[in-house]
Amino acid sequence: MSPRLPTRRADWRLLARTVRLVLSIPVYAVLSVVAAVLALSVFVFSQNIPLVSFALTGSIPLDARLTILLERYPFLGTDFGTLTGLALLAVAGLTGVDIAMVTYHVREHGLSVEQGGGSAVGVVLGVLGAGCAACGSAILVGVLSLVGATGLLTALPLEGLEFSLLAAVVLVLSLYWLADGMRGGRINGCPVDIGR
Amino acid sequence: MNRRQFLRVAALSALAGCSNASPGRGGSDGTDGDGTDGAGGSDGGNSGPTADAAKRDLAAQPTLGPPVGEASGLIVAFEDPSCTRCRAFDQTVFPKIRSNLVETGRATFAFRGYPVVYEWGDPASHALEATYARDADAFWALVGHYFDNQGSFRGKPAEDVYAQTQSFLSSDTDLDAAAVVSEARGDAAASAVQTDLDAGMAAGAGRTTPHLFLFRDGEFQTKAAGSVSYETIEAVLQV
Repeated sequence: MSPRLPTRRADWRLLARTVRLVLSIPVYAVLSVVAAVLALSVFVFSQNIPLVSFALTGSIPLDARLTILLERYPFLGTDFGTLTGLALLAVAGLTGVDIAMVTYHVREHGLSVEQGGGSAVGVVLGVLGAGCAACGSAILVGVLSLVGATGLLTALPLEGLEFSLLAAVVLVLSLYWLADGMRGGRINGCPVDIGR
Repeated sequence: MNRRQFLRVAALSALAGCSNASPGRGGSDGTDGDGTDGAGGSDGGNSGPTADAAKRDLAAQPTLGPPVGEASGLIVAFEDPSCTRCRAFDQTVFPKIRSNLVETGRATFAFRGYPVVYEWGDPASHALEATYARDADAFWALVGHYFDNQGSFRGKPAEDVYAQTQSFLSSDTDLDAAAVVSEARGDAAASAVQTDLDAGMAAGAGRTTPHLFLFRDGEFQTKAAGSVSYETIEAVLQV
């Protein structure tokens, strides 16, 4: 049977319970945090690769290097507005949880490669959604220039935040499908079971 | 729609849908020659010879602080009046640059109009050039006016942009506003804007604004895309 979209309240309860059970295992909780930080780093550093490169290789003191790197993150620096910053944090957090869930599923239950596809799509969309696309979100402009469609960015009402929102949707669906795949099993000794 | 179909649609929708879109301003006015640079410094980012193009014709550009070459630091900022991140930069970062670096003589700040975002940025940039040709103080006031009032310009045709510009110049400066707007429509302003566009493209600013090119003692350090913080600029310049 093909996995479906979460349309019922029970679907969301299943998702929440499964995530909670997986993250109650310390190693997966740590993994989700590490993966989220890495994802966020990819999102923000991808917007300013020359600057990040300078921070790592330029002739400047250590504290200046750290300043340049830390200032790239939402709410630490000024690169991102409030909404974009929140969206980036949300997508990064969802990516971290998704990766922890995929890893758990692979290790405990076995998982086909395609079931991890949601994480990859979410990360790609997260990178595309970072920054102000209309003002030239670096990666997005590069990608769209390949198809001669950079002008489309100025037509986006949310200035590219659309990509982050799409990333969040993809990641939530990915989490649901993972949870759906664990239905009937046990996590950390607790039954996942919640009626369909 | 099952999971596989959904993932396929999600991954492709951005690109597939985009390919049918009409070209943006850059595509129609011939300024979209780069675009790929923004993808993370395809020019190597720190390659001096390319980035030095940011300093082309700098003597003719609006600057603040010591004359170019006298201060240890130099910030060349490519900005579009219509860009929302440029507005954020102008309102939150630029004041710190001005007070901490420019007014203390530690750095020179150069503004280059770089209209690559929304349509109205183009006539606005023409008007900025025409204004600067007459009065530098009025130029900086007009820059602030555009950033502060982006909402009232967005989506407006060039004629409306010029009309609003004339209204501002009439009420807030001593300039002959009608003459300035007339000059904004002329070849001199167009040439000045094109000089900035050419310099930005050659330097690797692509279509990302604001785009800062940071120099210390004449040496290019790095470029920074977006509304980067004052702390970032200070850490790079080390002046």
